[in-house]
Amino acid sequence: MSEFVKNLMSQVKAKNPSEPEFHQAVYEVASSLSLVLEKHPEYRKEKILERIIEPERVILFRVPWVDDQGDVQVNRGFRIEMNSAIGPYKGGLRFHPSVNLGILKFLAFEQVFKNSLTTLPMGGGKGGSDFDPKGKSDGEVMRFCQSFMSELFRHIGPNTDVPAGDIGVGGREIGYLFGQYKKLRNEFTGVLTGKGLNWGGSLIRPEATGYGAVYFAAEMLSTRNQTLEGKKCIVSGSGNVAQYTIEKILHLGGKPLTISDSNGYIYDEAGIDHEKLQFIMDLKNVRRGRVKEYSDKFKTATYFAIDPSVDYNPLWNHKADCAFPSATQNEINGKDAANLLKNGVYVVSEGANMPSTIEAIDQFLNAKILYGPGKAANAGGVATSGLEMSQNSLRLSWSREEVDQRLHNIMKSIHKTCVETAAKYGTPGNYVNGANIGGFVKVANAMLDQGIV
Amino acid sequence: MNIEQVKFNKELIETSRYSKFQDFHNLMQFRVRDILLVSSLYDSYIFEEDNRLYELIRQEYQLLNLSHSPELVQVSSGAEAFKMMDEDRHFDLIITTMHIEDMSVISFAKKMKESGIDIPIVLLGYDNREMIDLISTRDISVFDKVFIWQGDYKIILGIIKFIEDKKNVEHDTKKFGVQSIILVEDSIRFYSSYLPAVYTVVLKQSQSLLSEGINLSHKFLRMRARPKILLCSNYEEAWDYFQKYEEYILGVISDIDFHKDGRPDPKAGLEFATKVKEHQQDIPVILQSSLPQNEKLAISVDASFLLKDSPTLLDDLRKLMVKYFSFGDFIFRLENGDVVGRASNLNELEEELEKVPEESIIFHASRNHFSNWLKARTEFWLAHQLRPKKVTDFSSTNELRRLLIDSVKEFRKSRQIGVISDFSSETFDETTTFARIGGGSLGGKARGLGFVNRLLSDFNIRNRFENVKILVPPAVVLATDVFDQFISDNNLLEFALKCNNDKELENRFFKAKKFPGYALNSLLEFLEEVNDPIAVRSSSLLEDSQGQPFAGVYETFMLPNNNPDIKVRLKQLLHAIKRIYMSIYFQRSKDYIKVTTYRLEEEKMAVIIQKVVGANHNGKYYPEFSGVAKSYNFYPNPPLKSHDGIVSVAPGLGKYIVDGGISFRFCPKYPNHILQFATIDDLLNYSPHEFFALILNDNLKNKINEDDLIKKFNLFEAVKDGTLDYTGSTYSIDNNSLYDGTDREGTKLFTLAPILKQKVFPLPEILSLLLDMGSWGTGSPVEIEFAVNLTVPDGKPKEFALLQMRPLVVSNEIEELELESFEKESLLGKSDQVLGHGVINDIKDIVFVDQKKFDRKNTVKVAHEIAQYNSKMLNNKTPYLLIGVGRWGTFDPWLGIPVTWEMINGARTIIESNFSDFNVTPSQGSHFFQNLTSFKIGYFTINELDEQGFIDWAWLENQNVIEQKEFTKHIRVENPITIKINGHKSKGIIVKPG
Repeated sequence: MSEFVKNLMSQVKAKNPSEPEFHQAVYEVASSLSLVLEKHPEYRKEKILERIIEPERVILFRVPWVDDQGDVQVNRGFRIEMNSAIGPYKGGLRFHPSVNLGILKFLAFEQVFKNSLTTLPMGGGKGGSDFDPKGKSDGEVMRFCQSFMSELFRHIGPNTDVPAGDIGVGGREIGYLFGQYKKLRNEFTGVLTGKGLNWGGSLIRPEATGYGAVYFAAEMLSTRNQTLEGKKCIVSGSGNVAQYTIEKILHLGGKPLTISDSNGYIYDEAGIDHEKLQFIMDLKNVRRGRVKEYSDKFKTATYFAIDPSVDYNPLWNHKADCAFPSATQNEINGKDAANLLKNGVYVVSEGANMPSTIEAIDQFLNAKILYGPGKAANAGGVATSGLEMSQNSLRLSWSREEVDQRLHNIMKSIHKTCVETAAKYGTPGNYVNGANIGGFVKVANAMLDQGIV
Repeated sequence: MNIEQVKFNKELIETSRYSKFQDFHNLMQFRVRDILLVSSLYDSYIFEEDNRLYELIRQEYQLLNLSHSPELVQVSSGAEAFKMMDEDRHFDLIITTMHIEDMSVISFAKKMKESGIDIPIVLLGYDNREMIDLISTRDISVFDKVFIWQGDYKIILGIIKFIEDKKNVEHDTKKFGVQSIILVEDSIRFYSSYLPAVYTVVLKQSQSLLSEGINLSHKFLRMRARPKILLCSNYEEAWDYFQKYEEYILGVISDIDFHKDGRPDPKAGLEFATKVKEHQQDIPVILQSSLPQNEKLAISVDASFLLKDSPTLLDDLRKLMVKYFSFGDFIFRLENGDVVGRASNLNELEEELEKVPEESIIFHASRNHFSNWLKARTEFWLAHQLRPKKVTDFSSTNELRRLLIDSVKEFRKSRQIGVISDFSSETFDETTTFARIGGGSLGGKARGLGFVNRLLSDFNIRNRFENVKILVPPAVVLATDVFDQFISDNNLLEFALKCNNDKELENRFFKAKKFPGYALNSLLEFLEEVNDPIAVRSSSLLEDSQGQPFAGVYETFMLPNNNPDIKVRLKQLLHAIKRIYMSIYFQRSKDYIKVTTYRLEEEKMAVIIQKVVGANHNGKYYPEFSGVAKSYNFYPNPPLKSHDGIVSVAPGLGKYIVDGGISFRFCPKYPNHILQFATIDDLLNYSPHEFFALILNDNLKNKINEDDLIKKFNLFEAVKDGTLDYTGSTYSIDNNSLYDGTDREGTKLFTLAPILKQKVFPLPEILSLLLDMGSWGTGSPVEIEFAVNLTVPDGKPKEFALLQMRPLVVSNEIEELELESFEKESLLGKSDQVLGHGVINDIKDIVFVDQKKFDRKNTVKVAHEIAQYNSKMLNNKTPYLLIGVGRWGTFDPWLGIPVTWEMINGARTIIESNFSDFNVTPSQGSHFFQNLTSFKIGYFTINELDEQGFIDWAWLENQNVIEQKEFTKHIRVENPITIKINGHKSKGIIVKPG
């Protein structure tokens, strides 16, 4: 690694001892930015990197609450306001006993670039508490959230810091947090995202990630003057992301062929149409059955059970044009990637978070296929948070179509950023670099503009 | 009613019908069992009547249906008497005659008292003149009483009862409110003949009242609560008694002329009567005199009159007592004396109460006649219920009438319930009864149900919760004699014992035509009464006896029981019964019994035929939910403690939980803390989404496969049926939120939220109460199976049904086992979630699932491989350690390895480890675990993903392989491993050998 990065790392380690997750995150970003730093000596002069790795503000606070037995409990609250160069801080809250400063800083750091990539005016932050929601009654969760917000409220606001949900913070918790904020501030504003539809939430939230991944794929194809029309698509998973990926593929004329769950997958050579998608949604969302039942119902489909004795996933070994990994981390390894390429797949758009391993990514890049990394392709979810903020500021609720339209436009912008950045820095068509650098540059330039603050 | 207050505590026990009013054992604590008769030879000869005194007394006792006639020891001198005392012989009463060999009878008595001997002494004289002499010249206060023998051996009875009543009156009156009759008579001669006669009347009358449905042993007991007779000889004594026991005086029988203030007073009786009436206007008084002109005087003080010299004196007395002392029929009168009705038992009382005019009801109620009448029948509880009712407490007489009727009705009904009576269609009341057909034993399960039924009555639990009825579903039990006769009539025993082929066995049993006629008739009558779905369940001798759960070995069948032709229904029922009978001899049961200390020939089968709890929902019959509650939780997560208990619930029939399906778990003491579901994903994946229901289909043939009638449905069907209304929550994808209730849009889940959070049904309170009551009643932790039906007609209460209660087998060893801290390298495994207790150090063989080769789609094959090792080990009598992944014993092959108990019953300790990719909660509700703890098999639960415990898989891989199959391995070590489990802390370790 370069001398610069080496120095930076020793500084980081010295200043942030016992935060290995944070060190790792910094290292990854710093390493991937070598191209940029070469081209922008002003970043080094103004110590952008040294500044960007230092959170603008870290708030640690005490969160005491009383449990149902009448005993007093004490937890710790965190809010890391990492960077507000391009917009108010934005990032989720996580309630989990494993939460500590190191983990949150690393998450907050990544959030800065993720949010920047959406092209929406959102800074980066993250927060949470070591509170364990497991086994707590509604009352206990509520009292905790109220105590948590009773401190946090003075640090957040619709133009300052807009938290959202994360692990352990779902609709219920956002509700309690919002209620307390409103009480203390006496104002109804978009201070949190992930709100209920009745009180400021945005439509399209469950669909956003899936739709976004497909929009991104469509944009990638357009660089080769192609569309999704008639394209054979392999989709993994069967949750929200997968379901709406399939829906959007159908909207755009593509042909989804597969879905999967932890027991196995189905391959439907006739393709999954709207009716079959309805069946899947009913199967998974209402009846909570297994995908095997799809093949029981539709005779054109074959079911393949999981065989863990093999070290590749046969799901990725079918003839297709596009692949949409929408299930989980590390579901495409080197062998899978090879299979995909072998079968003619030349578009991979990641709906899940980090579904491809390093070996897989290398193969995709080497083969110069259209590979959209999750950072860019699954930004639909994050983008919708931004859209919720917009609607709150407007005091309007957009219809599904309006939100969908704006989402589409955002994905286009993201794509544009990636493509232009990749080209500018000498690696045209490399969306990984495009995403990494694109996110960074926007923030860095804004920091340059705003003085040493 | 405040639900919070219905807890099982001391107060509940004390106010239960069980303790206070049924504890007849505590009455008449002093009984005369051994009498010392001190009399000269000559005197005793007079009594003896050819040596038959003893026999005669015994006969008298038998005639009166009294238990335990006393033993009589006779001595002829004071010296001998004292010698008896010195020898520590025990006597309750000393009767002495006028003449004893060596001293005067008075000095004898004085000496007895002076030597501190506290036994009552009664003087029995037989010559009047001598007696008068003695009384007038000597001080006879040393005797407890003086009697005169007049030729009737019954005097002895009178003396005994007199002494007993005198000694017991204070205790019995205080404890129970037993009533007493005051008898005032100073003429020794008169009362000596009169007293036994009065006793006879009282005893006979009391007995005649005890006829309603009570068995013999009960009668003996209740007789202890018969009215007492307090004999007094002067005004002061009488008044003393009256003041002390005023509230409990049934009546007064008194002479008119007796001693007052130390002097004879010819009006003493009248004064006494007047004073009594002043205090208690309604106490009947009978005045006796030998002077007929005293009759007017008697009437003037509102007393009845008896002429002492009347030849029909005793009969007249009896008639008066029957009329006024509540011994006879209850005669409904008006204020003016007109008779308007009559009842001789509770049944008739209830009927008459409906018919008689209001005036009569007011007349009797305001004088507490009902209470008194009931007390005479030893129905103290009911008497107590009715006693405090003053007419003025009611807004209308009709209200009072209704209250009286309802109290009697409830009482009669509830007394029926607690008892297992013989089945008869007349008395079978669909809503309440538990009856038997045939003789022999009822079997473990039925006995358990009978016991629960009894507890529900005694503690008055059934209606304790507003709008909820707690019940044991009505059932009849075919007792084991029916089984015996079936087997012998069809010559099945030898064949069944030897047969190794289940199919052959089935054929033979189905072909058996003979079935005991009386049982068939009763079953037919039963089917006429009941045409709702019924469950046909096994109840064998060995099942569920404490310490030996056979849970899950024998079958249960459900029948829709709705064919319009009753003969078809009977055929179907018989078919199911036969299947249960034959199941004793199936290979599975034979294997099971082999590892117990029982012998197959000892096993007999009773069959319970019980109404299924539930309602018809669009052709599917099922309860809103069923569950299993345990009073001891083997895996408590704080703030829960083990004795807080744990409940598993699933929608529909209980089969789902019992078969090991995923259920919703909560602790009744902490209904708002649901630990199972940390995130919404957990809830979506791990809450029950299917249920079992019985199909109601009219077109069934006679020979049906009972298994086909219970089908599994998706929870979605329950939403359509509306049965999720009280038990569901809604997950909204758009809002990423879980809402209580099923009102909003979204996916419906079974979470019991409306019940646990909004308290629409007092489930946690009912379960806490029953678990506490059950453990108290059985003296050990218990497990309860229950079902709840919320679909009832308007105005009817919701149903909570108790299906089974059995002791939960928990290791009883008290000493703590200290698990010294071992180095991790020396351990093969460790866990903080362990069942069992103790040290096992003779295991050298380990069978385990090969983690590398294992995958969830092959669990069925894995199960078979394990079964093969198991039979090999069983045959060689080699104990082994079994290590696997997922839930052992579940019926769902994706959740674990679907073994039955017989496939692993040779293992001494079993380890359940997690899947590498999938977190499964340990299974709790299945029969499997009953057997584990009963056979004292150690059970480790290890979850390496959650850092709960560990297994040294690498070490296992390096050991000496004895046998290897596709997915599993059997290894053996030179020196045994040591397994140590601390049951109280639920911790365990497995130490490597050497």
